[in-house]
Amino acid sequence: MQDVALPDGAGLDPETAQAVPDAAPPGDRRAARAAMQDRIIAPVKPLLRRAGLLSILSGLLWPVQAAAIAWAVSGWASGALALERSLWAAGIFLLCGLIRAGLDRVAGGILYRAADETIARERELLIGREARRPGGAGSAAVAALAVQKLPLLHPWITRYHVAMLRTSVIPLVYLAVAFWFSWAIGVVLLVAGPLIPVFMALVGMAAEDASRRQMDEIGDMNSMLMDRLSALLDIRLLGARARAAEDFETRADRLREKTMAVLRIAFLSSTVLELFAAIGVAMVAVFVGFTLLGEVGWGSWGNGLTLYEGIFLLLIAPEFFQPLRDLAAAWHDRASGVSVVEELEAMDAAPRVALLGEGAQATPLPGPLSVSMRGGVAFLPGRALPLPDLDVGAGQSLALVGPSGVGKSTALSALAGLVPLVEGRIEVCGQELNAGTADGWRARLAVVPQRVHFPDLPLSDWLSGGRAMGESTITEALDLAEARAVIDRLPEGLQTRLGESGGGVSGGEARRLMIARAVLQDADLVLADEPTADLDALTADRVTRALRRLQGQGAALVVATHDPALAGEIDAQIVMTGENEA
Amino acid sequence: MRALWRVLKLLLGASPKAMARGAALAVTVLLMGVALLGLSGWFITATGLAGLAGIGIAFNVFQPSAGVRLLALGRTAARYGERLLTHDATLRALAALRVDLLRRQARAGGRALARLRSEATLTRILADVDALDGLVLRLALPVFAALLTHAVVFAMLGWLAGWPVALTVAAIYLPLAALVLALLARSGMAPSREGEREAQALRRGMIDMIRDREALILGGQLAARETALRAGDQRARAASGALDRAERRAGARLSALVALSVAGALVAGGWLAQAGGLDPARAAIGIFVALALAETVLPLRRGFAELGRMVDAASRVDPGASAPGDDREGQETERAEAPILSIDRPEARFTLNRGEALALEGPSGVGKTTLLLRIAGLMAGEGIAIAGHAPENWTEGALRARVAMLPQRSALIAGTIRDNLALAAPEATDDTLLQALQVVALDAVVRDRGGLDARLGESGAGLSGGQSRRLALARCVLRAPDLLLLDEPTEGLDLETATRVLDNLRAALPDSAILATLHRGGDHVIFTERLTISRP
Repeated sequence: MQDVALPDGAGLDPETAQAVPDAAPPGDRRAARAAMQDRIIAPVKPLLRRAGLLSILSGLLWPVQAAAIAWAVSGWASGALALERSLWAAGIFLLCGLIRAGLDRVAGGILYRAADETIARERELLIGREARRPGGAGSAAVAALAVQKLPLLHPWITRYHVAMLRTSVIPLVYLAVAFWFSWAIGVVLLVAGPLIPVFMALVGMAAEDASRRQMDEIGDMNSMLMDRLSALLDIRLLGARARAAEDFETRADRLREKTMAVLRIAFLSSTVLELFAAIGVAMVAVFVGFTLLGEVGWGSWGNGLTLYEGIFLLLIAPEFFQPLRDLAAAWHDRASGVSVVEELEAMDAAPRVALLGEGAQATPLPGPLSVSMRGGVAFLPGRALPLPDLDVGAGQSLALVGPSGVGKSTALSALAGLVPLVEGRIEVCGQELNAGTADGWRARLAVVPQRVHFPDLPLSDWLSGGRAMGESTITEALDLAEARAVIDRLPEGLQTRLGESGGGVSGGEARRLMIARAVLQDADLVLADEPTADLDALTADRVTRALRRLQGQGAALVVATHDPALAGEIDAQIVMTGENEA
Repeated sequence: MRALWRVLKLLLGASPKAMARGAALAVTVLLMGVALLGLSGWFITATGLAGLAGIGIAFNVFQPSAGVRLLALGRTAARYGERLLTHDATLRALAALRVDLLRRQARAGGRALARLRSEATLTRILADVDALDGLVLRLALPVFAALLTHAVVFAMLGWLAGWPVALTVAAIYLPLAALVLALLARSGMAPSREGEREAQALRRGMIDMIRDREALILGGQLAARETALRAGDQRARAASGALDRAERRAGARLSALVALSVAGALVAGGWLAQAGGLDPARAAIGIFVALALAETVLPLRRGFAELGRMVDAASRVDPGASAPGDDREGQETERAEAPILSIDRPEARFTLNRGEALALEGPSGVGKTTLLLRIAGLMAGEGIAIAGHAPENWTEGALRARVAMLPQRSALIAGTIRDNLALAAPEATDDTLLQALQVVALDAVVRDRGGLDARLGESGAGLSGGQSRRLALARCVLRAPDLLLLDEPTEGLDLETATRVLDNLRAALPDSAILATLHRGGDHVIFTERLTISRP
């Protein structure tokens, strides 16, 4: 259905809105980041802390496992070969391993819950707001944000914070352990470790950039695919099938080369990160080996290292680096999460037009039909639009005429309580149109919009509005609207689902179907927005006749039009000029 | 499942060399990781033994320590290469999948092609393609690399640490990992499918709710619709929750499996050292190797969890399925003496010869567009002959060379004006292109925008509706067809421009037969005849 509430350009362009945080000075940006933290992380903080604790606990069990292995193997070397010792060590290792697997599983479950709660909350916000108070973003953009982009918060919530917590505990514990046995190994880890966060900042940025570019690239390839697919009928008719595919191939190849050039550099920086970890571990291994041989006498508090200590340290070293590497890997999860939040915040900030009432089922307002508007000024984002004074009684008809953009559609929306007034008042059936009466008032209305959007329902359900009615009732309404032939032509008749594009019916047919729908709703007042625009004379004539017949059945009619032929058929006319008629 | 194999074949076949290089490096990375930990473990144990025996001086430390350093650095380098090569191969595969899709979709019939305009259809296709993007990188490649690594490790371990150790490690890893992953694939199949389905339904539902907003509010159904969407969201999240549980369960099982395997290697090594008198340093290798092998199985769970989604997507994007109207044998040459077009159908009966033009009139919905699509061979229909043969009896190439059509909702592509025109005539010179633009009275507009290389946005954004229409018409002019079918060519044009364009068109294509559907302007001089089409 047409967005009458929002004239073109009145809504905040989502891209401009997104650019705002980037353009802000650094201080504001920090504030924006803090706001995001408050919005996404704060509500689930206790869950994150619990999961982090479990995860740390699991990390702290590793030294026990390492000790079990070291104890068994050093036993073999010193001649303690009883199988019992191996069995004990294996048992301890396995037990700790099982506990760790269990802890990680539970922690994962808690993290999932945290992310799920967040997504549920944000989605609920969008579902409950975007139709009630549209902010000018397209329906596809809102749906993409709610369904495809919100899940990008998932890795941010589940990975980044736990990685952060682990990083703040586990490496320190391992470092202390390493220092306990050998100050030299402690120093190796101490030097190599902090270098990782330093590089992480660099790498994180580069990786972020790389992953974004890669996503862009796939995005580019996808939008190119979408573009070509939607032009495929033309491509086929031009005999350009093979050519278009080859052209796509060439372009995809160019995209790939461009991406690879970027990735080559981006991956290089993350390789540097791994290199530090690798060198660190290798140095530990070599140092331990030399110490055990007695070739190195320094670095271990004077009394050398035992084989047990050596193996233990070897097993500890890689795990010292692991949380740091996890954090680096989670870095871009945060970046993509943040960009989603930016989009959410921009959408929050968009100016919105609220409807009156709830949009729920209500008992129709009692009394004979009447509607009058006095001194009305409609509220639209960024401007107030003056509306004409008007009176319509039962069975009467009125045409609003005037150049496009003058506010004819907005006037209709205001009458239906879809756009609030900032000044003036509308009276319906003797009562003021407000939040309390709007739903009851709308129960007596039907609207014929300019562009009809068919939901994914069988036509019979759509026409009846979900109420039970016989086929003969529907057929009569179709006859009145001269829409019977439209249904007859459709292969599945009343069971056809027209769907999004309304594929299979023309604009004039769609409007006639809409009129039939108005008939079936027993509406006392029908608001029709440019019902004959873009129609040939013959079809326009049919629509006009159908509207007249609708009035003949007792319905009142308000039509916004610039078709003189249609306006001539209407009882009264109000010419809108854009000046405040009040 | 079979469709998934076909997709896999397509993806792997896109660039077998790049794929093989990536796979080789993936295996190298895993093997070097295993070797690094194994060698380090052996080295430390061996030096410890030598130290205890007091023969430290005699121990050759330099080779193993050089090995440790080499493996550490080599692994990092191999990892870098692996990432680059697998990404390169994946990007190639992604492109191949999309090109294949484009080629196959292009064979569909007229209605199916027109449906591709709908956002719902497009998003559906893109979601499927995206789901399949992970097939190689997250599933095929890691499984292959893991299997190969295990095979090599088994042999090496048997040789170095003894067959009991090698067998213990392999017997715990391979069957159990296969079992865990198979269970994951099975229990994840339904939620992974359902999650995707519910997410798509939710997306469509949101779009519908926002577009139908007014109707819903007027019908008092907005609140009910919101409730329905909330329920849909619940279902989508429930499915993804179930998938997450399955995945976490598999993850925990895989971790337990690693611990079990390490414990097994420990016992097997201890037993060999005790009973077989195996050098303890060698006996220890198995433990470290079993530990390092975790890297082969832990990353697999993601790919297996997504299997259901991939299978579903593959069945829709199936490269093995041939679209209706597949390329066919057919006529290449016209029948002598036959009119360019003859129609003998209930709704209309006429013939068109060289240089004639016919205006089809009739109320909207009477079937004018359908008739044009039938003539263009995009819908089946009796009683149509183009130069003596039914449209479906021509080869695609020969038919397109003779018949050009401007569809009712013509579409442009993103790119330059030249790119758009080149679809019709790739070899044409600039002069020819500019002449065609002149015919449709677009030469001045194009000049103002910076000439043929001016860029247009997606779907030709940047031109007005009437201008886009005329650019599409210019493409038809460039085809210089025997038969030109025009579906509402003057829609969106003011009367003056419409007249000028039709005049120019006739002058530019004096020999073409023209068949046009028109709401208005059917009385224009270029039309030698007018025909009101009747309801079939």
